[in-house]
Amino acid sequence: MPSSRIILITALLVISAFAQTAFARDNAALVIYSGRSDKFVKPVIKHFTEKTGIKVILHTAKSTALLNKLRAEGARTEADLYLSNDAGNLQIGADMGLFKAIPENIAGVIPKNLRAPDNSWIGLSARSRVLVINTNSDNTHFIKSIFDLADPRLKGRLGITHSSNESFIAGTTVYLESKGEAKTRAWLNGIKINSDGEAFNKHSKIVAAVAKGRKDVGLVNHYYIYRHLDKSPNSPIRIVIPDQASSQNSDAMGVAWNVAGIAISKYSKKVAQAEKLVEFLISTEGQKLFAKLNREYPTREDAATAAEIAPLNTIKVADVPMSSLGRLRNKTLDLIEAVGLP
Amino acid sequence: MPWPRLNVQGSLSGMVVLLAAIPLLFVMLNSLQLPFDKWLGLWDTRLPSLFWNTLLLAALVVIGCFILGVSSAWLIARRQFRGRTLALWLMILPLAIPTYVFAYIYTSLMDADGWLGNLWLMLFSNVSSIPDLYNAGGVALILALSGFPYVFLLTHSALLNSNPHMEEAARIHGASSREIFWRITAPLIRPAIAASLAMVTLHVLSDFGAVSMLRYQTFTLSIYLQMNGRFDYQSAAALSSILVMMALTFLVLERFFRSRQRYFSSSQAKTWHVKPASTKELCLIWSWLGLISLFAFILPIAWMLVWSFEAIMTQALGSEFWGYALNSLIIAIIAATICIIAALPIGLFHTRFRSMLSNLFLQMSSTGFVLPGPVVALGVMTFLLTMLPALYGTLAALTIALVIRFLPLAVQSQEAALSQLTPSIEQASRVHGAGSLETLWRITLPMMRNGMVAAWVLVFIDALKELPATLLLRPIGFDTLPVRIWIEASEEMLEVAAPAALMIVISTIPALWIMLRNTRQST
Repeated sequence: MPSSRIILITALLVISAFAQTAFARDNAALVIYSGRSDKFVKPVIKHFTEKTGIKVILHTAKSTALLNKLRAEGARTEADLYLSNDAGNLQIGADMGLFKAIPENIAGVIPKNLRAPDNSWIGLSARSRVLVINTNSDNTHFIKSIFDLADPRLKGRLGITHSSNESFIAGTTVYLESKGEAKTRAWLNGIKINSDGEAFNKHSKIVAAVAKGRKDVGLVNHYYIYRHLDKSPNSPIRIVIPDQASSQNSDAMGVAWNVAGIAISKYSKKVAQAEKLVEFLISTEGQKLFAKLNREYPTREDAATAAEIAPLNTIKVADVPMSSLGRLRNKTLDLIEAVGLP
Repeated sequence: MPWPRLNVQGSLSGMVVLLAAIPLLFVMLNSLQLPFDKWLGLWDTRLPSLFWNTLLLAALVVIGCFILGVSSAWLIARRQFRGRTLALWLMILPLAIPTYVFAYIYTSLMDADGWLGNLWLMLFSNVSSIPDLYNAGGVALILALSGFPYVFLLTHSALLNSNPHMEEAARIHGASSREIFWRITAPLIRPAIAASLAMVTLHVLSDFGAVSMLRYQTFTLSIYLQMNGRFDYQSAAALSSILVMMALTFLVLERFFRSRQRYFSSSQAKTWHVKPASTKELCLIWSWLGLISLFAFILPIAWMLVWSFEAIMTQALGSEFWGYALNSLIIAIIAATICIIAALPIGLFHTRFRSMLSNLFLQMSSTGFVLPGPVVALGVMTFLLTMLPALYGTLAALTIALVIRFLPLAVQSQEAALSQLTPSIEQASRVHGAGSLETLWRITLPMMRNGMVAAWVLVFIDALKELPATLLLRPIGFDTLPVRIWIEASEEMLEVAAPAALMIVISTIPALWIMLRNTRQST
């Protein structure tokens, strides 16, 4: 009976392989549930391991899915830390009681509005929602505010991401919190018309479309523009940081921010090592790495930003605490769904 | 004395079915907790559009798969032409490409600077802009391209297995080719077509990869977003229970219609004298089959090769890559092996001791297929965390989820193989003094070998491509090829996503070869 023998042999092989992989994992290593792209995290982690000898395993997936997993696992979780690209997720996790507060003597170097009020999570790097504009386009000089994107003059000329994008949602939460529901709803309706009901699946594609003149204006995270300029430095694009104070408009809202951050799992059994990792990530050295790798804003005020981006002290940031990005998310989602953005 | 034996097979299949029903129980328990006004809210806001989106998509995909699958199967089974074996392979190979890879490749091909997008702009830039894939038509295209091989496979083998004498007799009595097709061939292959289209429909209902890449709101995607974006398990479960209801209604209807049209082929010689194709026919056949496979296989594979080449040139592939490939193989082999073992009692029980209970078991074992992958995974996860925490986080947890998801595939193939076996052989073995285990080992299993192999291969391929359950339940640090594709594709790291996709295709080829050789031998 060759078939049954084949089955038997594969079964044995499989079981031995199973045993190997199941016990191969290094139990001393820190486990991070990482919702960020490996390429931005790995180099920093490598540095940390070289410096301290503490090994780290990155378990990467979507931020929200990992938070869901963390919640379902509860005390059984193997995760020591949770890394997310969105302050909304971090705050939702904090409200679910999944995290353990980071001691003030570590978290203290990060400004208060870029971490949870109880230090259950802290921001590691920040990004702003800015506009990319084609320099050859007509009639785009009036665009100074995010709300100008709803202007009928931009019909068919605006590029936006899908409304399920976390950065888009977080940005919308900021506008909702700063300017209220009526104005935000009108804005969503306007950009729905101006984007022709069509949405890009990636920020990078918006920048490319604006550079090629297929769209005139795009709403993106700031670093995508620099990433594009790396590859094609002569692209006819300029950056507009929206809602900045000027002589006509002294109480401008400021640009919307979002942070990527980290939290320590409440059920971690390696809290000391986990705190060490957090400490490294917000040390000037760790912060410099973040600033360099992805040209994000370091959250630590005394760490230098990458040379090409606008220094923090020259721009006005919308005065919305990062923790409200989580608390208002469902309200934002309802609004976006009601308007029916793609 | 049938009772003791019935108890062994019956209780074994009962145990498997209980395991398979875990996700369904999870869904029911959670949806019961949803307050009534929230149900009403779902009904008012979400359900109409979800019903419409899902049914529209299923209908479009079924039509697409029917056209592609039946036409190619008929041409390859009924005409002798140059390159027939190659054609056969080209029609089956799309099975090796996961739907999310299809979706991803097509979005990048149709981009303004992708191959197809470029071509479109060159040809039609004055007429219209590049068609958008983020809608029912786009998703249906992807799912039809990846789903039609199922229709092809079953229809092709039904055509080969049908008795040539009937068509010959019709011809002798003066029927035209068209009449023969509609009055003889079509009724004979109808059950196969129906069964394969049912399978395609179930795939559509539970597809997560393509709909989430293309953000087309079906039940599955909506359930996933409800779970992950809003952490609302109860609404997710409510939507799942509606989806299950839909799928079960559909299955019952399908079985009902199929049971009324059953054809038995006699055991006479089935050697087909296939008509050789004329030169003109050869050209027509190859243009049609070539067109299908250009979009279903050649373009995607070319894309994978180009980007994999880029990856090798830029040395973007680390040693981890081979680890991912090994992990994928390990989990797919485990899942397929355990799945065919677990499916056996259900098939045996239903074919040898048919009853209401066996029928119920058979239906219940298919729940893993009608529930979306993320829901199956969450159900298994919740069950393990509360009942068997020691297993959670191990490979065993992932294996359980995959076995639940793909059990129906194994049960179906085995049941089909078993129902062709006449029980008299087994009875003869018993009369000659063999015990029931010995009969199973020496008579039944060897005789249903083809069905077992087909079941193993089908589960292996699907497990190799599996994404949503693997994402949630893989042990820490255990990344498979689909997981890496998912992660890298969302970061646009094509250099890593493409070789991983290519690796899946390559790993599938030996399995497909075994299956093809297997069907060839049996005919």
